Amino acid sequence: MRRADLLVGLGLLVFAGLYFSQSFSIVRGFASDRLGPAFFPRLLALALAVMAVALLVRAASGRSDPEPPPRMKIGVFIAVLVLATAYVFLLPRVGFLFATPVLLGAVIWLLGMRQWPGLIATAAGVTLALYVVFVRMLHVLLP
Amino acid sequence: MFERFALGAQIAFQPLSLLMMTVGVAWGIIGGALPGISGSMAMALLLPLTFGMDPAVALMMLAGVYIGAMYGGSISAILIRTPGTPGAAASVIDGYELHKQGFGAKALGVSLITGTVGGIASVFILIGLAVPLSKVALAFGPPEYFALGVFGLALISSFVGRDLLKGMISGTLGLILATAGTDPFSGTPRFTLGSIDLLTGVELVAGMIGLFAVSEVFYQIAESEGWERIKGKVSTQLPAWVELVKLKTAMIVGIVMGTIEGLLPGGGGAIAAFISYDQAKRWSKHPEEFGHGSLEGIAAPETANNVVTGTAMIPLLTFGIPGSNGAAIMLAAMLLHGIQAGPQLFERTPQIVYGLFVGMLVANVLMLILGYLALRPSIAIVNVRRPYLFAGILGLVLVGAYSISNRMFEVWVVLITGLIGYGMRRYGYNVLAMVLGLVLGFIVEANLRRSLLISIGNPWVFFTRPISGLLLTFALITLLWPILRQVREDRRARAAAPARG
Repeated sequence: MRRADLLVGLGLLVFAGLYFSQSFSIVRGFASDRLGPAFFPRLLALALAVMAVALLVRAASGRSDPEPPPRMKIGVFIAVLVLATAYVFLLPRVGFLFATPVLLGAVIWLLGMRQWPGLIATAAGVTLALYVVFVRMLHVLLP
Repeated sequence: MFERFALGAQIAFQPLSLLMMTVGVAWGIIGGALPGISGSMAMALLLPLTFGMDPAVALMMLAGVYIGAMYGGSISAILIRTPGTPGAAASVIDGYELHKQGFGAKALGVSLITGTVGGIASVFILIGLAVPLSKVALAFGPPEYFALGVFGLALISSFVGRDLLKGMISGTLGLILATAGTDPFSGTPRFTLGSIDLLTGVELVAGMIGLFAVSEVFYQIAESEGWERIKGKVSTQLPAWVELVKLKTAMIVGIVMGTIEGLLPGGGGAIAAFISYDQAKRWSKHPEEFGHGSLEGIAAPETANNVVTGTAMIPLLTFGIPGSNGAAIMLAAMLLHGIQAGPQLFERTPQIVYGLFVGMLVANVLMLILGYLALRPSIAIVNVRRPYLFAGILGLVLVGAYSISNRMFEVWVVLITGLIGYGMRRYGYNVLAMVLGLVLGFIVEANLRRSLLISIGNPWVFFTRPISGLLLTFALITLLWPILRQVREDRRARAAAPARG
């Protein structure tokens, strides 16, 4: 966890700084509001910065949780993430009825299921079920 | 009072409400039984579907999911030694032992009955405490609400999860996330990064689907090795009256612990279940049976986790502050329907509050019936191959996110918060604290500013008013106590070090 804590601590510190500096571009509200819309965010930015420093100090002095994070199947995870992101990008362009079965089929395949009949039936079946529930019953206008 | 319950009953017993509660409870049992779906995730997945419903019916259905999931979790705890929900973790100990000895059917029956008893008891506790507390809450002004929000966040940061610092960071990040969008006080846009979509802020429903549901899917894909399939023929055998009477001590312990945990912000029944297990062992006439297949060892935690379903609604309904994942989702559902949670609910929309009271009683009875009948189908779904299951859930969350406001923005929010939630889980941060921060951001900030408006800028207003002063002092103690203890331990360790030479 130590390396992760150091990285997260640095990241949070940078984020707190950016967030703090963004608060200066807020247009001030009406005069009777003493604190204005920027006060609370600045308070939060300062608090986050203090906590990030505490996290860094703790990690640097070797008092982080010594347990390493659990093993992870990084390849499969990133592949699913890329697929999901591609789906969100492509959904408005190619439409729900085409993009969804492709995404579902690919995710099923990635997770290790290689039986084609089951894969195709599930991908198509789930798409159809979602279509019926959201479009027909809830009247959502899917792209 | 009685006409209000009659009003509630009128709504709860409508055919549509009964149907939706049946769907909710059945889905809760199935989702709870699935080790990849916790109770809060099962609720979050249904959120987008409640859009077109009457708000009272939507809340009853979600409460049904919450209630059903508490029993469902014990099915996989007993049969495959894997708790289906965190609340069922304590039931693994004796449940699986009983199943190995061939008493799985009886273990399921005890879990179902004691869960129902706990659930029904909790609705009465809920009614008994929430109605008077809501009158107290009506007297709260802005400083009290500010203090209550801070106190809730402090409790979640320090009691849930192992790491106080990471808990506090999680809560602060939630508050920061809540500031994006139009400032509700002055109407000025903040932190919108030039995006029109962000003007309305981060939609709470999307944030919760991401943090509770998508993060779990990511976790299951990246880290989990899956769970066993349930083999063989399984049935439910309800205990005889004599056997049930022997479990009364365990059930009373469960009711007391579940009530306490429901009132304090906590982890959805898991802590109450473990404490009840320990206490039931202490009070039991046969403590030696615990761990070797004791029915009391199931009765205590399963009563406790169902009690939490009712008592967790108390802080939500009276103060508008959710203390558990399940209650946070109920709050999101209220906001989705434009209902402001809090004490004014009791006066302005009694049909929702009293409908929920009666509905939760009905849902507990439905759980008893469905739990008995729906064991086979739940097992069939637990045995569905994981790739099919997670692909299906992924499809549901993405489409569900789109349906929140018919635009792609929420789909992105769901994916990004899902990724953040998974990273937080992986590196020991506190997802519930972040959700609570997101929920309370507006309450804390608006009441801070309102208070200072009233006091003409005098910050002492938070301490001169007794209730807010007390709450803030408690919050400070909650946060400082673990730090002081750590410092003292370090000093002692340092003092001991040279002596050891």
